[in-house]
Amino acid sequence: MIGSFMHTTIVMMTPILLAALGGLFTDLSGMLNIGLEGMMLMSAFVSVYVANATGSLLIGVLAGVVSASLLAAIMAVFSLNLKANVFVVGLATNLMAAGMTVFLSGWLVGTRGTIVFHEAPRLSRIDVPLLGDIPVIGRMLTGYSVMDFLAIGLTVACFFVIFKTSYGYHLRSVGRDYKTAESVGISIYRHRFAAFIISGVFAGLGGAALSLPLRAFVGGMTGGRGWIALVAVVLGRGNPFGVLIASLIFGAASAVSNTLQAVTDIPPKLLLAVPFVVTLVAMIIHAVRRHDSLEQQ
Amino acid sequence: MRKTLISLMTVAIALAVGVLAIALTSSSPREALKYFFTGPFLNAYFFGNMITRAIPLILTGLAASIAFSASAFNLGLEGQVYFGAIAGTLLGLTMGSVPVWLTCVTIMIVSFAVGGGIAAISGYLKAKWKVNELISSLLVSYTLINIGDALLEGPFRDPRAGLAASSYMDSAIRFPRILMPSNLHAGLFLVLAIAVFVFLAIRFSRLGYEIRITGSNISFGAYAGIHVRKVVILAMAISGALAGLAGMVDVLGVHGRVIRGFSSGYGWNGIAVALIARRNPILVIPAALFFAFLTSGAEVSSFFTDMSPEIARIIQASIFYLVTAEGLLTFLKKRREATS
Repeated sequence: MIGSFMHTTIVMMTPILLAALGGLFTDLSGMLNIGLEGMMLMSAFVSVYVANATGSLLIGVLAGVVSASLLAAIMAVFSLNLKANVFVVGLATNLMAAGMTVFLSGWLVGTRGTIVFHEAPRLSRIDVPLLGDIPVIGRMLTGYSVMDFLAIGLTVACFFVIFKTSYGYHLRSVGRDYKTAESVGISIYRHRFAAFIISGVFAGLGGAALSLPLRAFVGGMTGGRGWIALVAVVLGRGNPFGVLIASLIFGAASAVSNTLQAVTDIPPKLLLAVPFVVTLVAMIIHAVRRHDSLEQQ
Repeated sequence: MRKTLISLMTVAIALAVGVLAIALTSSSPREALKYFFTGPFLNAYFFGNMITRAIPLILTGLAASIAFSASAFNLGLEGQVYFGAIAGTLLGLTMGSVPVWLTCVTIMIVSFAVGGGIAAISGYLKAKWKVNELISSLLVSYTLINIGDALLEGPFRDPRAGLAASSYMDSAIRFPRILMPSNLHAGLFLVLAIAVFVFLAIRFSRLGYEIRITGSNISFGAYAGIHVRKVVILAMAISGALAGLAGMVDVLGVHGRVIRGFSSGYGWNGIAVALIARRNPILVIPAALFFAFLTSGAEVSSFFTDMSPEIARIIQASIFYLVTAEGLLTFLKKRREATS
């Protein structure tokens, strides 16, 4: 029971963590990327559709990542080149993805409801022998997909890129004090543009991690995960491992919601609200603590 | 002048995107385009329904305008609209032997208060602990939409209804129809009056002045002796209150009951309406009519041809992209200079 709950937690965490790692880059460059939700949604549709059409998971994931990065590039051009308000452009990204995915599914697949892609290859679960036989926690240790491993691996990779490379150092300086960064010759524009694209790549992976295991797409299937990821970025305080912990908490909230849906009679819609309540409470606690520590100084 | 030009250009480019999408995906693009542009004006039914669509958008547009004027991003409009309508309707269903006009007024006040209360939470969290109101209002909204759905699917569902919806309120409570056979109702006059009132209040009242100052420069506002925190909370509350009323007016005018998800999109489109109108409460009216025209045009066209009604959403999203692109004019000017 505990092992299986932990397993669900990690599976639910993966899309959030992937998107949040992307959001971390835009956050470090000094911008709040509220378009994560739309980028995830776009990739959720494109990845499973292309995987279904080509019979290749890899091509599917790549196509999803490209579609999400395209939205990210549009966001970058509008907010950086055309000086549009970055929040408004983020909203545009979300609305465009919501409209475009339903439009495309109607046009390409001929239906606007839930689409099951029977031809899409399965995202197989990797079962490590023996580990699964360990009592209580065995279920927690094995049976994950490539996407789950990728999310954890990328967290470590992001940590090294952000804290151990000169690129990471420059990126953080742009976000922290862009005037000083500019004065020593670091290009704000280039770093922010790149950060948008990186956030698109990660959000694209997050969207693929959502639809590929289900081999299905339904309009609005991200259901606020992009926003939850955004809060994970805020709570992670610029550190990929902080983002990981925050994403884990939100994964657990989703797992609670899922488990209760299976074992109790509580209306499912009421349980769907749980992750949002947990996210909101976490954000308030974070803000109160930051507020208090600032007052003490 | 320059701003008007940007607004017009935004609309033109977004329409061009829509025309392109129709041309690429429709098997009879000529027909589809004809119905898209002329459909809403074909008869009283289509025309009236287009205006009806604009009614809640005017209110959510005003709601977004007020919050944005104080530099507060209220992204929770969707939940405020929905929950305001649910609260008002449920009260309306339980108020038995009271005069109809009293019930009508009471439930509008309740929806107003409920929407305002919801948004005020985010305003308070921002003022007190600097919780980002953009994210908090959105999370509250997601929570409430799910709770509202649960209410309409469970305890308040009318078992005789074929879909998740409450029972009908007394038909005498509903706003009179003013253009048969369409849904257009007298709520239009109420909404227009509110728009004028908000315009005057923002221009000439003390609170309006404080909201404008706080929005343009927070530290100057504090320096000028304005209680900035109070203004932010109030602006959020008024914004949410108008959103709650938007849902209620739609229920009283069109549906007579709350249906699950009936107001989906009212909030987001209200934000776009406010941005096109550049936060001017009077300009919110034509902007809302334009948005209603896009949705109605796409609907009528998809009714007669194979066009997808989602075209409207793509055009609306394009408007969102373009509407605050301040660099657009200079960009195009440079292009012209470069090519000539």
